[in-house]
Amino acid sequence: MIAPLALIGLISLPIIVAYYMLRLRRRDVPVGSTFLWQQLVRDVEANAPWQRLRFSWLLLLQLLIALVAVIAAARPFLTVSSDLAANVVLIVDTSASMGTAEEGSSRIALAQAAARRVIGQLPEGGHVTVVAADDSAHVLVSDTDDRAAALAAVDTIVATEVPGDLTDAFALASALAARDSDSTVVVVTDANADRLPDVGIGAPVQVERVGSTDANQAVAALSLLRRSGGAQLDLFVAVSNPSALEVTRRLEIYADDVLVDARDLRIPAEQRSEALITSVPQAARVVEARLAGNDALAVDDRAFALVPAAGAVRALLVGPGNTYLENALALLPRLELYAVGAGGYVDAIDAAAENGTPYGIVIFDRTVPAELPDVPALYVGPTADGAFGTVGRVVDGPALGRPDPADPLLRFVDISTLHIGRARAITLADGMRPVVESVAGDPLVAIGRVDGRGVGLLSFALGDSDLPLQVAFPLLMSNLVDALLPSTDGILPPSVELGQPIAVTVDPAISRVAAVTVATGDRVELDVIGGRVTVPGPRVIGLVDLQVVDDGTGAGGDSLGRTSANLFDPGESRVTPGDPARIADLGRVEPAPSGDGLTARSEWWWPLALAGLVLLLIEWLLFHRPTRRAVGRLLRRVRHSARQGASAAGGSR
Amino acid sequence: MTAPVAHAAEAGAGADLLFDEAFLRRLEQLELASRRLTAGRMKGERRSVRRGQSVEFADYRNYSAGDDLRQLDWNVYARLERLFIKLFVEEEDVTVHVLVDASRSMDFGEPNKLTFARRAAGALAYLGLAHLDRVSVAFLGEGRALSLRPLRGKARVFEVFRFLSEPRPERLTGLAAAARDYASRIRGRGPLILVSDLLDPGYLDALRDLAGTRCQLSVLHVLAPEELDPDVPPDARLVDNETGHGIEVTGDDDLVDRYRARLGEWQEELATFCARRGGAYVSVPSDLDLADLLFDVMRRRRVIE
Repeated sequence: MIAPLALIGLISLPIIVAYYMLRLRRRDVPVGSTFLWQQLVRDVEANAPWQRLRFSWLLLLQLLIALVAVIAAARPFLTVSSDLAANVVLIVDTSASMGTAEEGSSRIALAQAAARRVIGQLPEGGHVTVVAADDSAHVLVSDTDDRAAALAAVDTIVATEVPGDLTDAFALASALAARDSDSTVVVVTDANADRLPDVGIGAPVQVERVGSTDANQAVAALSLLRRSGGAQLDLFVAVSNPSALEVTRRLEIYADDVLVDARDLRIPAEQRSEALITSVPQAARVVEARLAGNDALAVDDRAFALVPAAGAVRALLVGPGNTYLENALALLPRLELYAVGAGGYVDAIDAAAENGTPYGIVIFDRTVPAELPDVPALYVGPTADGAFGTVGRVVDGPALGRPDPADPLLRFVDISTLHIGRARAITLADGMRPVVESVAGDPLVAIGRVDGRGVGLLSFALGDSDLPLQVAFPLLMSNLVDALLPSTDGILPPSVELGQPIAVTVDPAISRVAAVTVATGDRVELDVIGGRVTVPGPRVIGLVDLQVVDDGTGAGGDSLGRTSANLFDPGESRVTPGDPARIADLGRVEPAPSGDGLTARSEWWWPLALAGLVLLLIEWLLFHRPTRRAVGRLLRRVRHSARQGASAAGGSR
Repeated sequence: MTAPVAHAAEAGAGADLLFDEAFLRRLEQLELASRRLTAGRMKGERRSVRRGQSVEFADYRNYSAGDDLRQLDWNVYARLERLFIKLFVEEEDVTVHVLVDASRSMDFGEPNKLTFARRAAGALAYLGLAHLDRVSVAFLGEGRALSLRPLRGKARVFEVFRFLSEPRPERLTGLAAAARDYASRIRGRGPLILVSDLLDPGYLDALRDLAGTRCQLSVLHVLAPEELDPDVPPDARLVDNETGHGIEVTGDDDLVDRYRARLGEWQEELATFCARRGGAYVSVPSDLDLADLLFDVMRRRRVIE
């Protein structure tokens, strides 16, 4: 028995018997005369506080009820053989697809029930670690033999909205299993996760697959673009139907929570339908696509998109002409590129000012004007002093130093194979910092702010290097432009995947930022280190606002930008339970040899509790049974009333 | 249809004793059986042991000097040449005695036994009055009999009703003493009907005294339904309605079965007692309809003809 202390309750049995033997305060029942009764009950009429115990069905039933209740409370169990090892790592999938509604329940509730069964089958002396796995692993209870604690941990499990990734959970399980050769990993999942570990683990893996439904549709893509010079917003929506039946779903489009479009989409089985919507207002800031009605998984029925800032930045390329540079800049969607020779620079600036369409950035290729622009500028192979600093001697064949690979300017940029034939030694102005230097310390790539304006520098002409031939070239140019032209949409990307962290570069003067989930109001404060901060991946669908935290008050300040987090994950939207063998095959095939002979406790208190309930019902019925005499009396009363009624009727006639 | 209203008004407080007109008419068609011929004081509608002036021939006897010559049977004289006097049945009244046990034990039951007894006594008294019998009604209580003077004639029925509605049950009955008191005061003979539950230790003495009056004894043994078929809780204290004394019992089927068996034996004992003395014993539950009692039960038992 698991709770033998409950057997103390057995003292209730003699108490019940004593209750029956005690001469209790009796209920007075008036009778016309006790003349006849006195001749019958002389033997029981006594003054002693105790009376002879007589057989009573009620007494017997009450004793049985008490006995059954006490034994059930002691939680008896049978010892049965267990398929599990002594060390069990229980992984419960909590990815978005586990929030699928099943008939009369939910997939996560089924998973909890399966997890409870596993815990109930633990062998004697066995211990369990409960891990919740979404896109990472969360240990809920570690290596415990306390089943109650494990069950309590299972009760806390809820489905998340992030895509599933069992890699972390399996890495953790592998480490835990490595500590004990007699280990089993049990995974409770719908087995439809796309991301699984590449390598197996050294312990057997059992899969408890849950779920059955596949009736789900999802907003699979949502994209918002400006066309016609920013005069029109085009919203592209794709709705997928991973189920086996063709369905028609109503797609609703909301702009800033106002319904602007609704249409029915017929989606064939296992295909997707797309829609192009042009009715989004120009002034809208946030667009939401929503599938009306219900399906198995609600979390993928919504998606959000931020409306991009109106128009592109006009860029002026000044120089003798450079195809490489023109092509690289023209590829950047933020720029609307214009080119002019060195002599036409002033006229072009003046004309743009007159037309009210000033340039947002100027790129000087191998030329430096006498009059510097009051907008951000990028200098490529400068031949004269400029805002960036002072031009010195020519440096032939400078060898590249080791730049900081974490520098945001070098994001996705590999310059390890870059060769520079000739560069100029440049003394950087105040506010400039080198990004790539030569071994001798000459700046080759630099960035900074001078007189409040962004300034970028390549100290070598493109033609003097093989940079234009490198894959890194357009990426470097993009990073330089992004650094010089902060996006009006903020520093965050317009859209991110749920659970994916976001690395952003902010003004180094900012020391602390806060990521605020708009839908829930959750706020996470983050330290900015070296102008960089990594925002944890959003956990719920919707918008995330990155705010500056005031150092003094700690309150949220200016918004640095917003982004939308969506579940565009075909694997999670395809809620059909997958093949459990994909996961089971990650484990060791052979069962743990030391697992033989292990036993588990199979509790059987519930049949006792059921029996107690039935006995209680019988006792109640017996106590309130309609006696034969009572029925007879009732019939006589009915007959008497009927006769009186008939007599009254006869009299009135 | 005014008769019942008049009855109600004159009966005053005896609301329980009200009888509707149809019931009273049916009563008039009945006649208290008087199987034992008795000598009365006035002419009535019943046969008397005396020979009298009726048209119904009874017997002959020899003529003796002084006899009324109008009673000679001249046809017999012509055939036998002897003088015989024809004797005719004399029709006289009898006294109907209706006794109601007014003990506390009678004030019990649903329907109440005493109420039932008073109504039954009223109906029996009406029967007697309707047939020009003399009717004596009495309550037996606390060692004595409280009786109404003998009445005759249907018009006196309201006095009977009023009398029956007045008394309250006595605390202690002393049924034997009360019966003896009444028996000692009996003048006219006739049917004597005792309406009682007989739940008194002296019930046999009472019956002996009443049977010893040479009246035709009939016992209406009234018991409440809960006395005929009791429902006793598992842990109960039975409180005597008459004495207040209580006895503790454990109510189970065994106890109730034994009670019913004892009750049956007792009723059989009473029936045998009455039969040996030429009387009638009728066991009556208090929920029995009064019409059924008078027109069915008592006719079958030859108490009423």
